[in-house]
Amino acid sequence: MFSLVVGMYLTVFIAGMGGYVDKIQEAQIREQVGLQVLGDPAFKQLPPSEQRRIIDERVELERQRLGLDTPFIRRSVGYLVRALGLDLGRAKIITSDSGSKEVRLILLERLPSTLVLFSTANLLLFFATLFLGLYLSRRYGSIADRLSVALAPLSAAPGWFYGIILILIFAAMLKVLPFGGMVDAPPPDTTLGYALSVGKHMILPVLAMFVSGFFISVYSRRTFFLIFSSEDHVELGRAKGVPNRALERRYILRPTLPTIITQFALMLIVMWMGAIILETVFNWPGLGSLYYSAIQQFEIAVILGETVIYAYLLALTLFLLDIVYAIVDPRVKVGAGAPT
Amino acid sequence: MANQDVLLKVEDLRLYFRTTKGVLRAVDGVSFELGADRAMVIVGESGCGKTSLARAILRLLPRNVHTYTGKVYLDGQEVMSLSDEQFRRQVRWVKMSFVPQAAMNALNPVIRVADQVAEPLLIHNRIKSKAEAKRRVEEALKLVGVPLDFMTRYAFELSGGMRQRVIIAMALVTSPVLVILDEPTSALDVLTQANIMNSLKRIRKELALTYILITHDISTSSELANESMVMYAGQLAERSHAGGFYKDPYHPYSRMLMASVPSLREDKELAFIPGKPPSLLNPPEGCRFAPRCPERFEMCDQDPPPFTLEDGRVVRCWLYRGRA
Amino acid sequence: MRAIIAGFKELTRYKSAMFGLFIIGLLVAISIYTVIAIPYSEAIRLWRGGEEIWREYPRNALPSWVNIFPGVNLPKTMILSTTEVEKQVQPLGGGTTNIRAVLTFDYSSNTFPKELALRFTATYQAKEPFVDVLWITPDGREFRLDTESISHEEWVLISQDTTLRRRLGNQPPEVGLFADPENPDRPLQGTYQLVLDGYVFEEGSDLDARLIIYGRVHGWAGTDDQRRDLMVALLWGTPIALAFGLFGALVTSVTSLIIAAVGVWYARWVDAAIQRITEVRMILPTLPILIMIGTFYSRSIWLMLGAIIVLSIFGSAIKTNRAMFLQMREAPYIEAARSYGASNLRIVFRYLIPKAIPLLIPSFVIMIPSLVFLEASLAFIGLGDPVLPTWGKVLQNASSGGALYKGYYYWVLEPAFLLMLTGVGFTAVGFALDRIFNPRLREI
Repeated sequence: MFSLVVGMYLTVFIAGMGGYVDKIQEAQIREQVGLQVLGDPAFKQLPPSEQRRIIDERVELERQRLGLDTPFIRRSVGYLVRALGLDLGRAKIITSDSGSKEVRLILLERLPSTLVLFSTANLLLFFATLFLGLYLSRRYGSIADRLSVALAPLSAAPGWFYGIILILIFAAMLKVLPFGGMVDAPPPDTTLGYALSVGKHMILPVLAMFVSGFFISVYSRRTFFLIFSSEDHVELGRAKGVPNRALERRYILRPTLPTIITQFALMLIVMWMGAIILETVFNWPGLGSLYYSAIQQFEIAVILGETVIYAYLLALTLFLLDIVYAIVDPRVKVGAGAPT
Repeated sequence: MANQDVLLKVEDLRLYFRTTKGVLRAVDGVSFELGADRAMVIVGESGCGKTSLARAILRLLPRNVHTYTGKVYLDGQEVMSLSDEQFRRQVRWVKMSFVPQAAMNALNPVIRVADQVAEPLLIHNRIKSKAEAKRRVEEALKLVGVPLDFMTRYAFELSGGMRQRVIIAMALVTSPVLVILDEPTSALDVLTQANIMNSLKRIRKELALTYILITHDISTSSELANESMVMYAGQLAERSHAGGFYKDPYHPYSRMLMASVPSLREDKELAFIPGKPPSLLNPPEGCRFAPRCPERFEMCDQDPPPFTLEDGRVVRCWLYRGRA
Repeated sequence: MRAIIAGFKELTRYKSAMFGLFIIGLLVAISIYTVIAIPYSEAIRLWRGGEEIWREYPRNALPSWVNIFPGVNLPKTMILSTTEVEKQVQPLGGGTTNIRAVLTFDYSSNTFPKELALRFTATYQAKEPFVDVLWITPDGREFRLDTESISHEEWVLISQDTTLRRRLGNQPPEVGLFADPENPDRPLQGTYQLVLDGYVFEEGSDLDARLIIYGRVHGWAGTDDQRRDLMVALLWGTPIALAFGLFGALVTSVTSLIIAAVGVWYARWVDAAIQRITEVRMILPTLPILIMIGTFYSRSIWLMLGAIIVLSIFGSAIKTNRAMFLQMREAPYIEAARSYGASNLRIVFRYLIPKAIPLLIPSFVIMIPSLVFLEASLAFIGLGDPVLPTWGKVLQNASSGGALYKGYYYWVLEPAFLLMLTGVGFTAVGFALDRIFNPRLREI
């Protein structure tokens, strides 16, 4: 819990640049107000000192409105405390589609898009690599196996990289898939039409994420299962005459389930944060691209909101992981408070 | 050797491994016979190939096998020529079971003890009902001395000795004809060792099984075995009935082994064997024990064949060429 | 140490690793060549020097080697200067002198040039000279271009001459002036002439012109939309990427190793601190923080590198190292060392750390390309170092220049190819090293 707080405070601090952002904002305000006042015909006649006075007054008002008159340190703590309680405040510039400036709503609006993209890609990746990895671990030395080892380095490139290449091939050259966005503009009327349209737009980004993670995942799962197959109990199982299918299920998968699940959970978390660039490349209206535009626009409330959500999600996942472990691994379940 | 039904006949069994340094000849042409209801102990130094021999017989091979040839007749049937699936169905645990070294990990950590012990019964369709399986499991556990309330436990809740007993129970539950035990007690403390050895003795009396016991511990094995085999550098050095072997070993290596083991009944000076066993990567020409043998002579530059002597014992040593 | 060398020798057994090493060697060779052939200051000048440097390069030109392909015959840029031909000087009386120069060239491409421009330089005191320009096609047709009065330096952008355009039947001048009348879609191949009649009004005035026929191909890598030769960025991106990756990976690996060792071995408070810091680090989202640093503070590559290093050290690197040292701590030889009174420092630096180095090597190698891609990521979203030409920068330029929409695929593919090459090369070697040095994998 402590680390959560410290982590978030650090983020706030960095995001606020220790107060420097305030100065930037002030400069912006001053410039805006200045333009306003100087351009206003009513003020044109006034002597410069008067004009300056009016500008100063207005700047001061703005500052107070935005809370810039309290020192940054205090405000940052205030942000933090409210954010921890999920009171995410209001944004200055960004608005949700429904017109609200409430950060919570802004985030909530974007959440489904990111979720849909990520879950699809990650679920596909998880199951494909799990079964392929298991399959390959049984066929050590075969062509498929050696291919998986040779191709593993292809995962060096991140998702957005493959995204660009895929866009080049499928959108620019072959012209079969859209360049980006989540849905056709204007969006289809029917729900089915809408779903299909989203589906069509999802193909490239999901493919990009999939390709990027695929090779290394298959390789590491295959290696993991290979190493695990030489465990003593697996050998004894084989000696006992347990058929291969059952061997895989009971002797390899079941004991490694906790590890696999952990990997999956952590992968989920890591991925959704890191997809900022991917979403930006594909113009996908999700939390990632929101994060990026929030940073560009110095929209601290949104930045903070997303970081808080991320931190909470992380904590939640770790917590759920503990529960899952207990269910799946008898060593955990029994160890804690078992009768003699 | 009494002329009984031969249960296990091994002919020129070879198991070579491919390693980064070359081909490792772990089992280099071993042949022997074992009668039914006999208990044979295979002794030898570490690295002599005795575990590899067991794996060769059990067809428990790693991935880097280079050569795997020979013939193995189990209960009349030649099993080397069976396909993997046939072997699995007809031989594994049905005819022949295995008790590995007392490793911490030999039991599946996520399955309960009873389920694991019952597993071979269910896989090989030896029982008709779950109740029958439960009964057989209880029988087996009683036989090895595991309290029945351990049945619902997981492997990690058991001590090392208990785990090994469970593994032995598991090896017996399908009533195989041959049980191979690979150093079943070497990872355990002396008291547990003694206990388990006693249990094994008792089980043999009750069940009329054929054992092969692999060990480097000569002293404890003498109680259990009525046949013996010595392996050296991947080859069979000597094969005899236990009585003859322990009292009067023939092969110089066996003699030096015996001389290095303390005896309860007599006061003796312990000897040791100088030098170290040859590399299995490039076995030397000629008798493999020759460099360390006090009785070597010129003929030892040739690799001696195993001589079957008139008393039925087999020795791979030129010193016995006359008695074949 | 011997173990490490032996390990590396084993690398030859793995084809993928040898391939990777070959790629790395290639990249290093390119880096060395680049740093010598195009010194840093020169590179910066070529990349950021301003329009003057690039003005005579074509815009968005493809690499020249595309002309290898059959049927592809894109024109190269041709520049003809009056300083290379004989000028006929004829005084016309009344202080006016006629300076006539004829520029001749052969056009053999089957595609029209990209642009046409004339660049005049004149020396005079007060009265600007002017020039009549006459274009003569191979089949003898003549087109009079506008008469211009020339200041000291004057660019006449023929391609943007709307009057000329109309006169040519609403075709862009670079098309109209070259089109084959029988086959207006193709240029007329043959010898063209540009007759320049200059009139100067003062003693000692002079006039020179350069005709620039912008081609559609340029150099080994083509050009971007600011007419910059992409080779500069591609070449210089190599040493920058390698240095970034290597330096970052090295510092991260070594530092996290030492900190973990010290923490595990003797300073318990260090260990506790490491635990806490790692936890906090887990919460901080890496990329967003880097983006914030880049946006709010500075985009300098050193700052970014520093931030990345700090974040990486306290990420998974230290956790795995710590786990490794915890295990090693129980080893008997460590106990032996303690019992003979070895100091803590000695144990850490002479026993723990050297033993850990082989285990570190694979992750070090694999870290390099991930750093390279990280830098590229930041550059791609516009947070790259403001001065340095990196591959990510080129990608970003391509993206904001609409490369994919406009079909300038080479602009995207070239840096992408180099990035991919680097990634695959190092990672292949890294995985092979892992198979060699990682004890768990040796069993296979």
